[in-house]
Amino acid sequence: MAAEYAIELRNINKSFGSVAANKNINLTVKQGEILALLGENGSGKTTLMNMLSGIYKPDSGQIFVDGKEVVINSPEDSKKLGIGMVHQHFKLVEIFSAADNIWLGAEPGDGGKKAGLSRVLLKKERYDEIARTAEQFGFHIDPKKPVQAMSVSEKQTLEIIKVLYYGAKIVILDEPTAVLTVQEIEKLFDILRKMKAQGRSIIIISHKLNEVLEISDRVAILRKGEYIGTVETAETDQEALTELMMGKKADLNIRRTKIEKKNPLLEIRDLTVKNDEGAIAIDHVNFYVRGGEMLGVAGIAGCGQKELCEAIAGLRKIESGMMNHNGESIVGLSPQKIIEMGISMSFIPEDRLGMGLAPSLSITDNMILKKYKNNRLSPLVDRKTARRDAQEVIDELEVVTPSAEIPVRRLSGGNVQKVLLGREIKSEPNVLITAYPVRGLDINSSYTIYRILDDLKQKGVGILFVGEDLDVLLALCDKIMVLCHGKVMGVVHASKTTKEQLGLMMTGVLDLSEANGKTAGIAKDSNIKEVQP
Amino acid sequence: MNKAKDPFVRVVKRDKMHPLLMVAFYCIAILAALLVGAVLLISLGVNPLVLYKDMFTIGMIGSRFAYKSIEGLLTVFTPLLITSLALSLAFKMRFWNIGGEGQFIMGALAAATVALRLGGRMPSLPLLLLMFLAAMLCAGVYGGVVALLNVRFRTNETLMTLMLNYVALYLLHFVGETQAPWNFYLSSESVRPVFQKLPKAAFMPTIPIGKFSLNISFLFAVAICVGIYFYIKKTKQGYEISVVGDSVSTARYAGMRVNRIIVRTMFLSAALVGLAGGFYVSGAQALSTSITNNVGWTGVIVAWLSKLNTFAIFGVSLLISIMQYGCQVASTQFPIIDSNFADLLQGVILFFVLAADFFIRFKLVFRKSAKQQKGEEA
Repeated sequence: MAAEYAIELRNINKSFGSVAANKNINLTVKQGEILALLGENGSGKTTLMNMLSGIYKPDSGQIFVDGKEVVINSPEDSKKLGIGMVHQHFKLVEIFSAADNIWLGAEPGDGGKKAGLSRVLLKKERYDEIARTAEQFGFHIDPKKPVQAMSVSEKQTLEIIKVLYYGAKIVILDEPTAVLTVQEIEKLFDILRKMKAQGRSIIIISHKLNEVLEISDRVAILRKGEYIGTVETAETDQEALTELMMGKKADLNIRRTKIEKKNPLLEIRDLTVKNDEGAIAIDHVNFYVRGGEMLGVAGIAGCGQKELCEAIAGLRKIESGMMNHNGESIVGLSPQKIIEMGISMSFIPEDRLGMGLAPSLSITDNMILKKYKNNRLSPLVDRKTARRDAQEVIDELEVVTPSAEIPVRRLSGGNVQKVLLGREIKSEPNVLITAYPVRGLDINSSYTIYRILDDLKQKGVGILFVGEDLDVLLALCDKIMVLCHGKVMGVVHASKTTKEQLGLMMTGVLDLSEANGKTAGIAKDSNIKEVQP
Repeated sequence: MNKAKDPFVRVVKRDKMHPLLMVAFYCIAILAALLVGAVLLISLGVNPLVLYKDMFTIGMIGSRFAYKSIEGLLTVFTPLLITSLALSLAFKMRFWNIGGEGQFIMGALAAATVALRLGGRMPSLPLLLLMFLAAMLCAGVYGGVVALLNVRFRTNETLMTLMLNYVALYLLHFVGETQAPWNFYLSSESVRPVFQKLPKAAFMPTIPIGKFSLNISFLFAVAICVGIYFYIKKTKQGYEISVVGDSVSTARYAGMRVNRIIVRTMFLSAALVGLAGGFYVSGAQALSTSITNNVGWTGVIVAWLSKLNTFAIFGVSLLISIMQYGCQVASTQFPIIDSNFADLLQGVILFFVLAADFFIRFKLVFRKSAKQQKGEEA
């Protein structure tokens, strides 16, 4: 006698201060279907789901679960209703084992799984019990493994097991594929299909159209906090979804301009760098970037990208190796010197603000971050030029802000990134290192940034582009270097490779670093004179 | 089945508030604090209106010596203002200098040392300059060392500055209570250990305005206030402080020498606190073991109540000085009240202002009664 809809939302409203995050949202999820929730950044997807998981409360509106109206005041309420959410940023205790992380949230109410003494005492049986549950759903996980030793995909698996163990009938996944490789995404989708076959309802939040089309039964679209509509996946395509999502037609072709070869501008030879914990993060890496060339860097999160960027920018000590800029060594130079040589580095970390911008300072003040010292004669900061620069960046990149004097942290993620990238471009670099420049950006902003990067390339700037989305790397970059655990797995021409091949290289299954009898990443016309043994 | 009710009250974020309304909120907070104080006063049998009147007019009304009250107020106000400003400089950088007490004492001690050793041998102006230079250097090093240890060995600056307060305090007690031939700090005429008066050349000069004499250190304090505003807002060093305070990794990324900036700023902060100590001892004309009047602690409160805004610091420290000095004055009328009441009231005000802060950012939404809800639906 189950109702048709596992979840039904009626006229949900939620605002934060004067910002309306959700306006009159109506949404239905059928029993045993996979519903994709699609929308650009800041369209209110996560806010809406957080109201189902009990983190926020709607200002007004009704929520029905299995046809009955409910009020969800807390995550516990949500759990009792059989709703489980896998958040984008995992909610796990790093030093606990897999089993203890699950045990932590289990309650006596969970079908008596944790009753009597085990409410206060940790017993060995919990490991077996959780291993059993995992197997029952077809997962493989070591219940004793501490979370800090897990890969991103293992952590995600653990989060999913956790919700299933708590008995969730409705599972919400917030951008689950953002951190996974192609192969891992396939695995995840298999799991989702299995869960669906068991009669569970699944909501998956995403802004990647191809994935949405592959996995979902229906797609619900939000735009700027408003509910646009729900379409059957089988009856739609990328263009139609984009139009619904953005409210206008968009050109989804990434431009890649081919320009003639120039000399190697940045050459990295045999570079070894350690991470904060003292382990090898970058292991004897070779590569080079020519002027007017874009080299993509692909790799699973945390396989040395950050350390590589920091080493080149002079922010991290290198263990061994050479780094040459225009034939001149930059090893051991101060960050200030490296900036003056025209090497610009911008790294967008997960929290988007960690490096590169001072969040409490205004856009104007952030414009002069790297050049406030330029006029050595004056002890004062030149804010006049800064104000002009800020206004130019705001105009050229269409930064949405009430004024240039607003603290950067008050801007939305996409605008923050535009400010950062805008400043780096304004500094007229000859080498631009940019890591995750479109992290979490919506389609429109992302494409603006791709265009800007291609424009720079045409001007002869050498670009090192560290990215996550393989489709983008393939379309935008000239060559792609693949990293796996700090080692180069090969440098391939973007036009001669496939996503699958990159995926295999990223996981270390395929190693092309010594293919064709030569070491990848060494230029024929290198400025570095080889010392032959 | 799920009959969970709305919670009785919810916290909701507010829109940006009109600045005037914000000021009104703070005023209400202060009034509420005074009301709590009034209840206490009534329970002690004191008429709060009379006491508050005496307190906030610092006893000027009906006094033939009103100018004396202003002079007294300035001796409390000047050190507090300079100290709060100095501390705000370090706080702006997220460097928790709570060693104001110690730095103040070291400054005073250094100034007194110069005054007592060189007092008879040189004219007033160079002596004063030397005293204040010594005060700044000594306190600056006292605080700078903490920053140095922090950047070199990642020591905790909060603990270090805190503990150094006691080192300085007991050093002062030591020279103040140890009678020995070497101890030139003590008066040779007294049998009990008493601090020696400074030589005349070491007295802070005053400008007479009618009967009122204006201590020059107050003018310096105002100049420091304007100077710090300019330093933070306009100079490259001030800019560096803001960036380091906001994000150390961003500062490094921009090529700033973060360690040097931290040590430099902490030195400056401590040196200014020391200067306040030097000014104070020169104005008080002698050392004393209670020389700080807790400015190192009160300064922390002032800096935070003012949200590190330079001109707000001026206002807040003036308010607190009026309370402290006014309470002293009022206590002459009411034997049951002493300066502890000022501290108590200060605490209550702080508490209410923090509450006002909360209500400026958030508002409470109460559960609607069933009736109301029905009315809305209909």
